[in-house]
Amino acid sequence: MIGPLSFSVGAGEFVSLLGPSGCGKTTTLRCIAGFETPSDGGIYLDGDRIDARPPNRRNVGLVFQNYALFPHLTVFENVAFGLRLRRCREDELKQRVQAALDLVGLPQLAERFPKQLSGGQQQRVAIARSVVLEPRLLLFDEPLSNLDLKLRVMMRAELRRLQQRLGKTAIYVTHDQGEALALSDRIVIMSNGKIEQVGTPLEIYERPATPFVADFIGSSNLFNGEIVANSATSTSVRTETGLVLQALPTPGEIGSRVTVMVRPENIEVASENSTNVENLISGDVEEKTFLGQDLHLKLRLSEKQALSIVLAGRTARTHNAGDRLTFSVARSHVYVIKG
Amino acid sequence: MRSTLARAGLLMPLTLFLVFFLVIPFLNIVILSFYTYSPTSIWIPKLTIENYRQLVEGSFITVLLRTLWLGLICTVICVVFGYPLAYFLARAEPRVKSVGLFLLLMPLMVSAVIRTFGWLVILGRNGLVNNMFHAIGFDRVGLLYHEPAVIVGLTNVFIPFMVLPLMASIERISPSTEEAARNLGASWFDVFRRVIIPLSSPGLISGCLLVYSAAISAFIVPALMGGARVQVLGRLIYDLLLISYQWPLASAITTLLVVATGVLISVALAVTRHSAKQEVSR
Amino acid sequence: MKRDQPKLLKPFVILTYVLLLAPLVVIVAVSLSASPNYEFPPSSLSLRWYEAFFSNREFVRSFFQVSLVLGLGAAIISAVLGTLAAIGIVRLQFKGREALEAFFLAPLFIPEILFGAALYLIYARLGLRPSMLTLLCGHIVICTPFVIRNVTAGLVGLDARLEEAAMSLGAGRAQAFVKVALPLIQSSILSAFIFAFIISFSDINLALFISGPNSTTLPVYIFNLLLFEGDPSVAAASTIQIVIVGLLIWTVQRIFKARVG
Repeated sequence: MIGPLSFSVGAGEFVSLLGPSGCGKTTTLRCIAGFETPSDGGIYLDGDRIDARPPNRRNVGLVFQNYALFPHLTVFENVAFGLRLRRCREDELKQRVQAALDLVGLPQLAERFPKQLSGGQQQRVAIARSVVLEPRLLLFDEPLSNLDLKLRVMMRAELRRLQQRLGKTAIYVTHDQGEALALSDRIVIMSNGKIEQVGTPLEIYERPATPFVADFIGSSNLFNGEIVANSATSTSVRTETGLVLQALPTPGEIGSRVTVMVRPENIEVASENSTNVENLISGDVEEKTFLGQDLHLKLRLSEKQALSIVLAGRTARTHNAGDRLTFSVARSHVYVIKG
Repeated sequence: MRSTLARAGLLMPLTLFLVFFLVIPFLNIVILSFYTYSPTSIWIPKLTIENYRQLVEGSFITVLLRTLWLGLICTVICVVFGYPLAYFLARAEPRVKSVGLFLLLMPLMVSAVIRTFGWLVILGRNGLVNNMFHAIGFDRVGLLYHEPAVIVGLTNVFIPFMVLPLMASIERISPSTEEAARNLGASWFDVFRRVIIPLSSPGLISGCLLVYSAAISAFIVPALMGGARVQVLGRLIYDLLLISYQWPLASAITTLLVVATGVLISVALAVTRHSAKQEVSR
Repeated sequence: MKRDQPKLLKPFVILTYVLLLAPLVVIVAVSLSASPNYEFPPSSLSLRWYEAFFSNREFVRSFFQVSLVLGLGAAIISAVLGTLAAIGIVRLQFKGREALEAFFLAPLFIPEILFGAALYLIYARLGLRPSMLTLLCGHIVICTPFVIRNVTAGLVGLDARLEEAAMSLGAGRAQAFVKVALPLIQSSILSAFIFAFIISFSDINLALFISGPNSTTLPVYIFNLLLFEGDPSVAAASTIQIVIVGLLIWTVQRIFKARVG
């Protein structure tokens, strides 16, 4: 069961549908492409209602997770497939296919068969095959998930460049938040068939609308608690374990239940000479993981509460497991989520 | 030593059994087909090619051509009905598929006599179809004992032979390949013509060969639904053997059919094996 | 949610099934009709044709003393021969293995009527009278390929490490096979056995040529009655066969599902 859900995408915009597997993002995309028909509601493209149209009458380009190239056709014929269906003239067809292959950087592989290509090359052919038809909308269904990490990062940048050069509106489904954050103008976060939040990558990262989003995007320390004081300069929240944290003023009744989010990288070591020390938190270092650039600490605050902290790796020498340390968090980095 | 013993114990019994009850009977047929027919003692062991010479004579050629023609029509109809069914089963969800397969296998496994009997009741002079004609004011017509009746019967009996290999072939086509074609603007007709048929051609070829080889040696359906008019090879063999006792001639026809089906089946197997190899290298 | 599917697919598939199953449905209906005129749909129901079937001694004999006995005999013997051969083919390494497998499966591809003719002629030449035994030998030949296919598939799907584990625990090779592999391919053998039974039980092409007066199988009996237009007790006999075959196939499907799930 998916929905009800509603979102809109502006012309030329790159929007990602992001969520854990089974959240309904792929089904949503398949509804837009026409492989599934929603039981209720409508889908509009440039003002035309398209949800009753069969997939072959929508002219939205879809790039598949497994590329879905036609194994019995050459690269050239794969790209020419849609043009042939549209009875395109032979000379124009040749020229357009060649242009599409140039665009994705594969001009010399036209006579190969898909199985003779690498994963990255197959992906480019799949993109060329869609783009050559000048679709009204580009859809991507986890297109990079079958590539290895290095290639994935490279293709990611290339995809974005391509989309901007073509000026096409794009909807991109992924479960990889890194991809979504790097590529998108806006992100739609979904969970259990519902939309959790729609926003720019920065908004979603810094001001998650729900605890789910806060937990799903990046890593975060989440505390359940209630508002105990509210003034013009700050809102105070007491967590269930008794910690009191100051945040920027947030509207909310005193006593209402909230969740507080603190990103691990926003926690600093409290130094004695620092003037503006807010939200001092003390605890014992329980685990220390040195990752080169970063140092990850797990700080035990109480029996039920621990805090994840990310510090710059060069401070690694100064902290050891078992040390008792004090940290601070600026109130601008304490974010109150309602509900 | 041990493995020789194991080989003897495991493989010898069946090998011997098949030599006695499969190889020798067919060798016997080949030999008989070169013996001379005698009206008094059925055959005399004098080698001749007379039996094969008779096969190129007019009356036999008529039967041969009719048999091959009926087989062809039957194969074409099996393709027309078999493709959608095979596609449906290949793409159905597991529960629907297991019911569908049951309903396909059941008629296949019930004796051909019984299925043909059903058609006799449906198409007979007082059968279901004639009763419907009669009810809307038409005269009763003889639907049986013509070639069309035989074609209906043959198609019905052999369609599973078409559906099963086709289904296996279509299952290997990724559904997203079809979706890609749809997305690029293909109507379902285009999807079938440009994607499904080319990619399931191994299944199509082996299905056609299986149906064809079964149809050209069918006996029950033509015997019960064809009446006296529709003489085909299978019936001819039966009649020559059990009624007119022309064993050498019957042997020649049988030899011919065995060779023909052997060739057809090896082609089918070669195609399947070839495509399986391609699958692996893909 | 509705999936994108060809619009005419479902109606066409339903039509195909109707045509495929129509003969069977008609026979079942006729067998339950009170009228002797092969009436469809039946205007009134009765079991009189079943009574007629069971009170016809020839009919009952061909069913219980010939077809059932032959089916069981053919299934047992071909299950044994076929299982042994399948084990040999999968587990032994030797030259010409593929050729031997093709030879074992060959009866699957030879039209039965040709095989029937071949058996008829060899028996005639050797002066063997048609009997249950001669028919049984023919049925074993056409049943074993099904056993070999099923059991081979079961054996190929087995994890060889299981037997290695048994051997590392001190079992001999044969012992490891009997104790570990055999129980695991039981369901393959069982479904092969059922299939073999069905093949023999439904066979007409061989039986037409090589069954004698004492070994008239049910299908042959039905065939002869059809040539001379009998009463609907033929339909009753056919229905009994349809039900038996249906139940057996359903059982095989259950066995497979239990193995997969």
